[in-house]
Amino acid sequence: MAVGPTTEPTTTAPAAPTEAPAAPSTPAIPTEHPNEAPRLTPVELVPGKALYRSVLPGVMQVPADLLLAMGRKSSLWPMTFGLACCAIEMIATYMSHYDLDRFGIVPWPSPRQSDVMIVAGTVTKKMAPAVKLLYEQMPNPKWVISMGACATNGGPYTRYDRVLQGVDNVIPVDVYVPGCPPRPEALMDSFIALQELIMEERGSIG
Amino acid sequence: MTAELHPQHDFEFETQDIFVNMGPQHPSTHGVFRMVLEIDGEVVRNVVPYIGYLHRGAEKLCETMDYRQGIGFMDRTEYLAAFNAELSFVMAVEKLMDIEVPERSQWIRMILCELNRLSSHFMFTGAFGVDVGVFGTAFTYSFRERETIQDLFEEVTGDRMMYAYFRPGGLAWDVTENFVQRVHEVLKSVRQGIKDMDGLLTDNEIFRARTQGVGVISAEDAIDWGMSGPSLRASGVPLDIRRDEPYLRYSEIDFDVITGANGDVFDRYHCRVREMRESVKIVEQCLERLTQGPILPDRMPRMLRTPPGEVYLRTEAPRGEYGVYMVSNGGNRPWRLKVRSACLSNLQALRDMTIGHYVADAVIILGSIDIVLSEVDR
Amino acid sequence: MTTEDTAPAPDLSATIWAEVDRALSGVTVEPEAGVLDLIVHIPRNEVVRGLRALKNDAALHFNYLRCLTAVDNEADGIDVVYHLYSIDKKHNLTVKTTLPVDDLRVDTATTVWRAANWLERETAEMFGVRFNNHPDPRTLLMPEDMDDTFPLRKDHPLAEIQVLQGEGLAFPGDAAGNEEGA
Repeated sequence: MAVGPTTEPTTTAPAAPTEAPAAPSTPAIPTEHPNEAPRLTPVELVPGKALYRSVLPGVMQVPADLLLAMGRKSSLWPMTFGLACCAIEMIATYMSHYDLDRFGIVPWPSPRQSDVMIVAGTVTKKMAPAVKLLYEQMPNPKWVISMGACATNGGPYTRYDRVLQGVDNVIPVDVYVPGCPPRPEALMDSFIALQELIMEERGSIG
Repeated sequence: MTAELHPQHDFEFETQDIFVNMGPQHPSTHGVFRMVLEIDGEVVRNVVPYIGYLHRGAEKLCETMDYRQGIGFMDRTEYLAAFNAELSFVMAVEKLMDIEVPERSQWIRMILCELNRLSSHFMFTGAFGVDVGVFGTAFTYSFRERETIQDLFEEVTGDRMMYAYFRPGGLAWDVTENFVQRVHEVLKSVRQGIKDMDGLLTDNEIFRARTQGVGVISAEDAIDWGMSGPSLRASGVPLDIRRDEPYLRYSEIDFDVITGANGDVFDRYHCRVREMRESVKIVEQCLERLTQGPILPDRMPRMLRTPPGEVYLRTEAPRGEYGVYMVSNGGNRPWRLKVRSACLSNLQALRDMTIGHYVADAVIILGSIDIVLSEVDR
Repeated sequence: MTTEDTAPAPDLSATIWAEVDRALSGVTVEPEAGVLDLIVHIPRNEVVRGLRALKNDAALHFNYLRCLTAVDNEADGIDVVYHLYSIDKKHNLTVKTTLPVDDLRVDTATTVWRAANWLERETAEMFGVRFNNHPDPRTLLMPEDMDDTFPLRKDHPLAEIQVLQGEGLAFPGDAAGNEEGA
């Protein structure tokens, strides 16, 4: 993060408004479709009240939760948990055509060092205990993206009794992505929505 | 085995075999597959595979679906070679109802199936490269080519992966007007891609040292285990359904059946790479012979009712023999639909191939069989 | 379901029936002309003997088991179906055997082809058919603790869709408790 211009500490006015260097938040994302649910409230950039303040040369003052949230959302490492067909679209999203690495998202095989679990594919009742175990092995803070129709509610296989009708029967889910399989752009959109969610709940998680 | 590591001792170490569980979540098990390896030091003594973590009941659900609704389930059964899966299903219905498919549809079906074989083999070389240790390079190259092919599929069918484009009798709608030119562009890019993948892996000294002589299965064993596809042909058995029991218009096309000599991991990989070149040849010949004309026969009923009967229709999918056994008792739904999965039969031979090799070899042997778990578990 | 032979003698001259008949000389066998392949029906206590004869016969040499599955015909019992292929002679055969509803046992074919191993495990857990002397009779696709119901039987119902939001939200056909929605 570049340090903004220094200000005189004696002035009563707060520091001059600076461009937020790495915050992707924009004021009030408009929704395009009349029936679309409103987006999560983004971090509002109030003019005159910057995100950080430079107190002395080389020292800046940032709210801690903001800093932590910005750090967490910029470097989400998903655990590679591709179960079925959605895994192929997830891999295609990681690859060079729809690059996810530019968001800081690096697929990581170990649950102990990953932040987000993308449940990509159908969860069967035979697999459900493994899903729960893997979720519990991830350290906090952790999030879950339920990718595809099968992980959301069973998808096309919902009438079969060996299929879990939605992964939210065993683990809590933060973002649901519809589609069978969702396009890579939809998965990128879900990551952006997750980033906004992380910024929004930044005071409430440790 | 462990006594050889310490030759200065003249007594045998008392060691215990340990059980290592690989999967169901594992970066190299290609999906939710679990195997328990019983290892002595680093040598595998026994392998117990566990499957069924993706059993979704496609066969049961197809019994409640119309013949056109069931096509979507077949796509999801083999999602990397969806056109081949749809083809078996749709041809089974056509055989039962005795429908004649127009020529243009047959050529287009062949082109799309062979392009799908190419994209599936690209996925294999990428994933196999990851197994062998080329961690990202092979994967990135192969997905670049897959995206080229998937763009073409998206222009024709509207979807990147689950096409649902074949219908009993022909196709759902005709292809785009610039189809032939687009396929030529895709083939140009694919030829370069095959050269890239070949150059990256095939003559690489480390790759050859890791894969040659590993995971050998003889022709008799492979036949007895019911293997099919490139995994069987690598052991020297020239069984290719496109040549032995031709369907569509494969009897009019000139292509070679690729076999290997040793039946090891390298041969299974190399057969697939050479098959990719054959597929390019097949697509070129089909493009020359593509005719104009209707894509559905004149009198297609709106509600498809099959007469009572049964048929076992097999086609050559990229992984082997993908068979659809359809039993009908008259009506618009199948009475029983069984999907004969190539990967399930190929996977049965895993134990014989892996015993006596190292744990790292177990990973590449599994990768060389090229399984897709949703086909194994259906 | 198999078709009834309406003609007194179906025309099987184009198929390999003559050779199959000779190979299965000690076994009760009944032919039928299928859409693609010849179908033969063998009673269940002789079926493995017949399969072994078909494999070992020099002219037929069915060394490749393509597929092994079962069909639930409700009251008529469960048919176990074997699809055979000969790699060098390039011909196909379908062998069917019928098991009565109250006694679903048949001998295992793993002694003839090793490929039958997992295929029989799957058929056993899907239909409840017991293959005698199977070397590894565990479940294949089902979880180990769910082996008491058989999903592919016709009387096994589909699952109810979970209704998650909205009290009284009804799906079409729910009033009649219809399970077989398309």
